[in-house]
Amino acid sequence: MSVPGFHRPATVEEAAKLLACTEGARCLAGGATLVAMMNASLAEPKAIVSLAGIGELSGISVLAGGGLRIGAMTRHRETAEDARLTGTLAVLRDAARQIANPPVRNMGTIGGSIAFADPAADYPPALVAAGAEIEIASASGRRRVAAEAFFVDWYTTALGPGELVSAVLLPPPRPGAGLHKKLARVSGDFAIVSVALSLARQPSGVAARIAIGGCGPKPLHIAEVDAMLTARLGDADTARSAGERLAAASDPVDDVRASADYRRLVIPRLVAAAVAEARTALEAK
Amino acid sequence: MTVALKINGAAKAVEAGLSDTLLTVLRDQCLLTAAKRGCNQGVCGACTVLVDGRPQRACLTLAANCEGATITTLEGLKRDPTMMRLQKTFASLGAVQCGFCTPGILISAHWLLARNPAPAIDEIRAGLSGNLCRCTGYRKIIDAVAAAGRTAAEAGA
Repeated sequence: MSVPGFHRPATVEEAAKLLACTEGARCLAGGATLVAMMNASLAEPKAIVSLAGIGELSGISVLAGGGLRIGAMTRHRETAEDARLTGTLAVLRDAARQIANPPVRNMGTIGGSIAFADPAADYPPALVAAGAEIEIASASGRRRVAAEAFFVDWYTTALGPGELVSAVLLPPPRPGAGLHKKLARVSGDFAIVSVALSLARQPSGVAARIAIGGCGPKPLHIAEVDAMLTARLGDADTARSAGERLAAASDPVDDVRASADYRRLVIPRLVAAAVAEARTALEAK
Repeated sequence: MTVALKINGAAKAVEAGLSDTLLTVLRDQCLLTAAKRGCNQGVCGACTVLVDGRPQRACLTLAANCEGATITTLEGLKRDPTMMRLQKTFASLGAVQCGFCTPGILISAHWLLARNPAPAIDEIRAGLSGNLCRCTGYRKIIDAVAAAGRTAAEAGA
């Protein structure tokens, strides 16, 4: 490659090494975020490590235990179209489907999106609701972090210097339902509020996992709320109080999309709507 | 500094710096000016071109990352039957106002019709959701894509 400062390694290890030892280097995945920031002079990388030439990072595969591995360079379109994301994992497919628009879904990648960690983006709450893990690569090897621990703060992740996202790991899909309900100004915009919900059928009923996006520095997930919904999913009052509990714990800000007060008002309503919709989907099966 | 691309069927070597986008290279070096620079942020869709057969934002694509890629711009589709149908229906139904967004919309519409030859109105809306028209002439644009789809269905029947 002959453009000065531009690197296109063939392996994850090589990419991690380049990131670690090149002054001012940034990782380039699909470009939807980094290049937009470069065009706006918000990022001026001295070197770029493109992940486009690393075969391992592309596509979705089934792991030995039945879980799924989504390579970091997998485009939103591929995730949105993958029929193996079913049952409890449908939450992720539904989130991918609602990202931006077709050309951007052809470019944007799951690894690039979550490494940027915009809390109003679609993947963060969906990955928390799906119980995903993030695989992180560095020159010294790989490690795994639960999605919940990966998102640390506004635009901040558990990635350290010289580290990159290599994959998203999902548990085996369980029979049930999953959906990502987003309130946005227009279709494809970042969320004002979003609710990611997965329901797993189990002998005693249904196990719920719920996370909220767009209402604080990272996806909001409260184990007790999962337990409330798991215990009494069919009860409309329970869904309402689960939503109120999440609203009380949320930490939204006023921004161009909505005020913080509006978001707190919307959370319980969107949660109730998501629960009702997921129950309907569950009963239809 | 040279990047080897395949543009509209022909091999082409372009000069690119680290932060040069495909859009800049297409317009300034290749003199292919159908793709427009609107927002330069990936939002408006005026720069949409096909990269390896799929619509992408040329403004969010680094030229240096396109080594070996196949790029198709609107100029490269001028003899494509679907594109010719679209151009005809856009003209006859008045789907062009200032025309700045039109090349990007035609690329998106072309890809939509390739995957879904007779799309419903909602499918057209979803397919064009990544292209903004600041003249806000969406109604006629959607009608024109629908008409091009119908023409294709009739021709194929």
